[in-house]
Amino acid sequence: MSKDKKIKSLRYNLIRPMSNEKWQPISIPIVSILISFIAAAIVILLIGKNPLQAFYNLFQGAGILPKPSYAGYKSMLTDFLSLLNAMTPLVFASLAVAVAFKAGLFNIGVSGQMLVSGFLATIVVGYSGLDAIIAKPLVLVIGMVAGGLMGGLVGWLKYKFNINEVVSTIMLNYIAQYVISFFIQMYYIDPVSRQSKYISEAARLTLVNVEIANLKMDIPLGFILAIIIAILLKFVMDKTVVGFEIKAVGSNRNAAKYAGINVGRNTVLAMVISGGLAGLAGVTYYLGYFSSIQPKVLSSIGFDSIAVSLLGNSHPIGVIFSSFLISIIDQGSTYMSSQAGIRQEISSVIIGLILLFSACGAYLKHKVSRLKEKEVDQKESES
Amino acid sequence: MSDYIVEMKHITKRFPGIVANDDVSIGIKKGEIFALLGENGAGKSTLMSILGGMYEPDEGEVYIRGKKVQISSPNHAAKLNIGMVHQHFKLVSDYTITENIILGVEPIKKFAGLFPYVDIRNANRKIEELSKNFGLEVDPTKKIADLTVSMQQRVEILKVLYREAEILIFDEPTAVLTPQEIDFLLGIIEGLRNGGKTIILITHKLEEIKKVADRCAVLNKGKLVGMLDVKETSTKQMAQLMVGREVNFESDKAPAVMKEEVLKVEHLTVKNEDGFEVVKDVSFTIHSGEIFAIAGVADNGQVEIADAIAGLTKVNGGKIFLEGKDITNESIRNRTEMGISYIPEDRQSFGLVLDFELSTNLALKQYYREPLSSKGVLNKEEFEQFGSKLIDKYDIRSGQGTKTQVRSMSGGNQQKAIIAREIELQSPLMIFVQPTRGVDIGAIENIHKMMIHERDQGKAILLISLELDEIMNVADTIGVIYNGRLQKIASSESLTTNEVGEYMMGAKHE
Repeated sequence: MSKDKKIKSLRYNLIRPMSNEKWQPISIPIVSILISFIAAAIVILLIGKNPLQAFYNLFQGAGILPKPSYAGYKSMLTDFLSLLNAMTPLVFASLAVAVAFKAGLFNIGVSGQMLVSGFLATIVVGYSGLDAIIAKPLVLVIGMVAGGLMGGLVGWLKYKFNINEVVSTIMLNYIAQYVISFFIQMYYIDPVSRQSKYISEAARLTLVNVEIANLKMDIPLGFILAIIIAILLKFVMDKTVVGFEIKAVGSNRNAAKYAGINVGRNTVLAMVISGGLAGLAGVTYYLGYFSSIQPKVLSSIGFDSIAVSLLGNSHPIGVIFSSFLISIIDQGSTYMSSQAGIRQEISSVIIGLILLFSACGAYLKHKVSRLKEKEVDQKESES
Repeated sequence: MSDYIVEMKHITKRFPGIVANDDVSIGIKKGEIFALLGENGAGKSTLMSILGGMYEPDEGEVYIRGKKVQISSPNHAAKLNIGMVHQHFKLVSDYTITENIILGVEPIKKFAGLFPYVDIRNANRKIEELSKNFGLEVDPTKKIADLTVSMQQRVEILKVLYREAEILIFDEPTAVLTPQEIDFLLGIIEGLRNGGKTIILITHKLEEIKKVADRCAVLNKGKLVGMLDVKETSTKQMAQLMVGREVNFESDKAPAVMKEEVLKVEHLTVKNEDGFEVVKDVSFTIHSGEIFAIAGVADNGQVEIADAIAGLTKVNGGKIFLEGKDITNESIRNRTEMGISYIPEDRQSFGLVLDFELSTNLALKQYYREPLSSKGVLNKEEFEQFGSKLIDKYDIRSGQGTKTQVRSMSGGNQQKAIIAREIELQSPLMIFVQPTRGVDIGAIENIHKMMIHERDQGKAILLISLELDEIMNVADTIGVIYNGRLQKIASSESLTTNEVGEYMMGAKHE
């Protein structure tokens, strides 16, 4: 009996912090993450390693905590900048998914949209020899326009012919993957790396090996843009007529139509915005983090971003934090594997667990509200 | 041993914030139709959910056939031969009638004494027999998706009969039915009683009780306020007990003062998605200060007329004029701007965005205008003010004021919110489709008053309703629709209820 009660009170104490509805959008993801780290710790324990040390190494590798020693021209700051560099495309991609979610659409074509815009920017600007001052903005514009058009096509197909966006985006992913692979292998292949030829430094959105204060750093210019755009997006979705209409269409198409909102236009618009953001993810990935394109491969970012967006509650600011977390694990994994002797694959397992538990947010929410009801019931029957 | 088959003694059930049942004691005799009457939120459903095993009471006792029981689950209730016919059907639409009925109690046979399988054929036969015995007339091999609402309800009834229920609870069974279907259902209910079953009928419709019930318990705000013998009580007395004050069934209204023409519909034809003509060559006009009602059995094209006027459905032929301007091809937004308010039939899937806050829903048709927004940016403070103003003015009740999620509000208050929003538009034409469906008597009276008030303000009102009483009560002019055609248009004084009924059935036309 008393043991039973103990377990119960433990459960209450675990769940009570989540019962404040105002903080739920933050508390529930945090609890999800904690649970997934506990699960990951169990996995690491099972292979006979110390999970705390592993996590510590993970953060060291990502540039959040200092490593005991650094190679020449390197420091914690360089690691941290690499983290931001890797994180930038993920933020854009997750924002793309989040915007589509708000309109009730499921954009799983982010990878394809990234590839198309990355490829177009590469051949138009990357091989052109334009000056940096023109080349860099042009890359962004091409990325946005190409992605936006591709997203818009999906939205238009949905509105005009009622083609489910999940189907059309998957198909477009395949088309993009193989058509672009054809062009790269025919015209732009680098025979040594078996990838597309490297773009000019001027067109690249990440400044590579910049020497400042005896450190060689990669400076991701796109990161600042990603933060600005996330904030801008939050404003658009929460405070403007455009955002209001997109959310209304996403919440209830019938009611939106009844209220006089142009459902078709908003569907297309949401997909244009989503595609445009995916395009930015594409250029910051292929012309920033990398500087060439590997043929026949779709970036996994487009798919990870679905879960990252869920983890961030489809909220623009939340997405920044969830991308940050996922990138830490991704970036820190190499160092973790070399230091703690844990295979790099384990970090993929951790990411997998986080993404898995992030999808359980709805379950947690349900559990919390159930427990709250019970608590009220109990209080009343006691009184 | 008492002569009651069901006895509930001193039942009290509390929910956060309210006492749903407050010391309620009722006894139900075997083989009677016992009605439970009360407004929405009076505690009828809670009381029956206790009997059905969905809730446990905080206080009080339940006796079945003289034995004290604690009904812990719906399964337990089924074992006690208690079955509930729910208001919202719980059916799998891709399954056949039989499959739905046997779900959970599948008759298992073993092929070659080894491989178990579900004996559908036998179940089909058994269900067909059962349905014949009680006059339910269903084909057990049909899929739920292909059935009308009233047929689905019969499946729900069969479901409880198949589980050998002796005590049948009907939760607001007529809320979704047309007048003909209601009569048919009441016939079935009487048949069940004559077959020895005990029936508990939860309802707020007095005529139904008067027609079939033997005794009636009245609940008001969770308390039992009367136990009546139906034969010796007038509907007026019942209504008074239920609402707690005197109720006017006949709305007082001055004769209509009709002025200029507001809406003119000419030879309107509308096709549905399958290309089938659902509105055929319909013409009528509505004047300022007139309530024009379209009477008809459900699905005869009346909703499509409303949708066509509001712009939600494409028009295939004919023209629609609002204050002399041709609006046939205008967008929905433009029509709203030009002066159409529309209270839609399906308030949850069309009238409201259930996940939005109340204030946002109240602003759903004006959010893009000054002062609610300017230059494309929303002004949340104005949303709040606008919301609170309407909440006060129209007495919309909700848990957390403007911030309430509309999903959590009661049906009556959701409807109030829509009506408030639409009246605030100050449109010369107002369309009401089934405005009082699923709304309790006090609120119905209120909605009728508002409609008449708007008429007296010089609005033109189009009322589409399946409730003939409502139409006879408030309409100035009545158009009767049958099979997509307006059979008759005449002033309400010149028509009797019977005549309208005949036109509605297509038995009479001009």
